[in-house]
Amino acid sequence: MGGAVASVAGRGQTIEQVDFALVGHQESWKAVADVLAVLRGPKHAPLPDDEIKDILPWIPPRAVCHVEVRSVVNAKTGGAKARGLYIDSFIPPDRLEAAYVRENLARVRGAAACAIKAGAKIASLGGFSSILIEGNFDQLPERHNTVFTTGNTLTVGFIVQGVKKMCALEDRNIGRATLLIVGATGDVGSGCARCLAPIVKRVLLSARNLERLRRLAAELEADGVQVEVATDLRQFSVEADIVICAASLASSSLLLGRVAPHAIVCDAGYPKNLSPSAEMPGARIFYGGLGQITGGLSFAPDFHGILNRHPFPDVVHGCLLEGMALALEGRFEPFSQGRGFITQERVEEIVAVATKHGIYLAPLYNADGPVEDKIDCQTEWVEGMSGEAKAPLGAML
Amino acid sequence: MEPVISLNSSAIQCTSLSSSAPIWQDVLAQAITGELLAAMNYTSLSEICDDPEEVADALEHAAGERGHAAAFAAEGRKIGVEVSSNVEGMHWKRLREAFMHCIAERDFIGCLIVQEIMLESFAVASYARVAKVGPGSLGKTFARIAAEEEEHVDHAMAILRAERAQDVQRFDEKVHRLHLDVMTTLAKMLAKECKDGHCEVCHGNCVKPSLFEVSLSAAALRGASLEQYLKTLDMLGLPGEVTLAWVAQLPV
Ligand SMILES: NC(=O)c1ccc[n+]([C@@H]2O[C@H](COP(=O)([O-])OP(=O)(O)OC[C@H]3O[C@@H](n4cnc5c(N)ncnc54)[C@H](OP(=O)(O)O)[C@@H]3O)[C@@H](O)[C@H]2O)c1
Repeated sequence: MGGAVASVAGRGQTIEQVDFALVGHQESWKAVADVLAVLRGPKHAPLPDDEIKDILPWIPPRAVCHVEVRSVVNAKTGGAKARGLYIDSFIPPDRLEAAYVRENLARVRGAAACAIKAGAKIASLGGFSSILIEGNFDQLPERHNTVFTTGNTLTVGFIVQGVKKMCALEDRNIGRATLLIVGATGDVGSGCARCLAPIVKRVLLSARNLERLRRLAAELEADGVQVEVATDLRQFSVEADIVICAASLASSSLLLGRVAPHAIVCDAGYPKNLSPSAEMPGARIFYGGLGQITGGLSFAPDFHGILNRHPFPDVVHGCLLEGMALALEGRFEPFSQGRGFITQERVEEIVAVATKHGIYLAPLYNADGPVEDKIDCQTEWVEGMSGEAKAPLGAML
Repeated sequence: MEPVISLNSSAIQCTSLSSSAPIWQDVLAQAITGELLAAMNYTSLSEICDDPEEVADALEHAAGERGHAAAFAAEGRKIGVEVSSNVEGMHWKRLREAFMHCIAERDFIGCLIVQEIMLESFAVASYARVAKVGPGSLGKTFARIAAEEEEHVDHAMAILRAERAQDVQRFDEKVHRLHLDVMTTLAKMLAKECKDGHCEVCHGNCVKPSLFEVSLSAAALRGASLEQYLKTLDMLGLPGEVTLAWVAQLPV
C-alpha cells in the first residue's frame, strides 16, 4: 500500500518507496514533443520537430516523472495512496515495426531494469511493451522484488465494459449481435472473446495465423458459441455489428471490411488500429481499454494531460491502471502474465479491485471527442454485477 | 607525407578517401584538440593533488592523452593531411575555463566530473561512432582510443560513487552546476549548426554539413554523446528523471 518516504541513504538523499512503475512510450511525435516541452520548462523554447526526431532515438530508457494515485477508500481521511514512476522506453513512434524489434526489445528491457533499480514492487508493461516481450517475462532483467504484469486483464475488463455501455447507449441488444474481433488470438483479443462470446449471438475471429484462430474457435465452440474464423475480413459470411480492434499493429492502418452500417466499433489498439482513412459512415466508434481514476492522480513534474492525452481528466490505459490498482490494494503480484490466459473470472476479479479504489471505465470518446453526449459515467449509477454495492455504469462488466 | 595508396585500399577507396580527406582532417582536428585539452587538464589536476599516487595518476593520464593526440596526428599524415589543433578555439577554450575554475577552487571532484563524466562521455561516444565508419587504420585508432578513454571513466567512477555516497544532495547539485556550464558548451559545439560562428578548429568552413559524405552526422555524434553522458550519470546513481530534464534543457 502507499508508502511514505522509507529510508534515508547518505545526507540529503531520501529514497522514496516506489509502489509501482508504469512502462510505456509515446504514440506520436506530437506526444513526444509535448513531453519534451514539459521537461524543458517554460524558460526554454520548445524543440523544433526535426531536432526532436534526431534526439529521441538516443535517449536511454528512464523515469520521466513521479506518479501518485489515490484511492476512494477512506477518502475522508485522505485516501489510501500509492506512489510510482512513469518510465519511458523512448521507442520512437515511427519505429514500432518488426524491423526494429531487437532494438525495441532492448529498450523495454532497459525500462524494466529502471523499474527494478527503483525498487518498484509492481511494474505494468504498457500495451506495446508487453507485446515485444510476448509474454516471455524471463526475457526481462533479473529482478529482485519487482513483479511484472502486462495489465491486459484490466484492459479487457474496460473493453468489455465499453462495448456493453455503448450497446446500452445505442439501445442495441447485445444478445442478438455478431461480434468481430480483429487480433482475436492475441492476449487482449482472446480475453475479450472469452468474456463476450457467451453473451452474443455469433463470433467472428480474425488474425493472420489461421491455426491459432482455429484453436481459439475450438475453445469457444466447446462452450456452445457459434464461431467463424478468417484471415481476410472479406471472407466472413455475415456482417459484424460489434467490432473490437485489438491487433498489434505498428501504425493505424486497419481498414474494416464487412461491418454493418451502424456497427459499434471499439478501437483498443495502441497505437490505434483504425486507419484515419477508414470510411465508416454511421459506425459508432470509440476508443477502448481506458479507465478513469476518481480518487486523484498527480504527476511530478506535472504531466497532466501530456502523458495521459485524453479529453477527460485522469484517464489512463487499462494496462497501466492494473498495476496502480494492484498497488493500491497492496497486491504486488504478477496478475497478468503470458499470452492467452485471460478468463472472465480473472477479469471480474481485477475489475472489482479497480472499482473498489475508484478506478472505473473512462467516459467513451473517439477522435472527434466524447461519444456520450449527455451521459456522465461518473454520475450515472446502476446496480453492479455482483449486486454488492452501487457501481458506476462504467464499472459493469 | 605518406601516399594515400599506402592505406592498402582499393583504387576506388583511395579516390573516395582523397576526396574525403578534408573531412577527416577536421574530424581529426577536433579529436586532437580534445586530447590536448585533456592532457592540459590532467597536468593542471596533478598540481592540486596532495596524494603522490594521485599526482602520478594524473600525469600518466596527461601523457596518455598526448599520446592519443599524436596517434590522431599520425592518422592525418597517413591520409595526406597535416592536422592542426586549437585549444583556444571558441568552445574548447570555454571548456578549459570551466575546468580551470575547478582547479582554482582546488575541487578535485569537480575536475573529475568535468573531465571524466562530461568530456570523456563525449569523446568515448563520438570516437566510437567515427571508428565505425573511419577507413582502415584511422577507424582502428579511433576504436582503440575510445576503449582506452572508457577505462579512464571506469577508474573515476569508483571515486565519484564513493564521493556521492557521502552526501548525495551536495554531489548532485555540483554535477548540475557543472552540467549547466560544460554541457551547455558541449551542446553548442555538437549542435547541428554552429550558431555562434566558426569554431576556430575546422580548417575551412564548418565540417558538420559535410559529415554525411563519410557516413557521419552531427546529429548522430550529438545523440551518441548525450546517450553516453546519460548512461554515465545513471551509473553514478543520479536519478534518471532528473538527468533527463537536464539534457532536455540543453541548447540545440
Ligand atoms: N487500451 C489499452 O490499455 C491496451 C492495453 C494493452 C494492449 N493494448 C493494445 O491492444 C493491441 C493487442 O495487444 P495484445 O497484447 O493482445 O497483443 P498480442 O498478444 O501480440 O496479439 C496481437 C493480435 O493481433 C494479431 N495481428 C497482428 N498483426 C495483425 C495484422 N496485421 N492483421 C490482423 N491481425 C494482426 C495477432 O495475430 P496474428 O499474428 O496471427 O496476426 C494477434 O491476434 C495492441 O495494439 C496493444 O497495444 C491496448
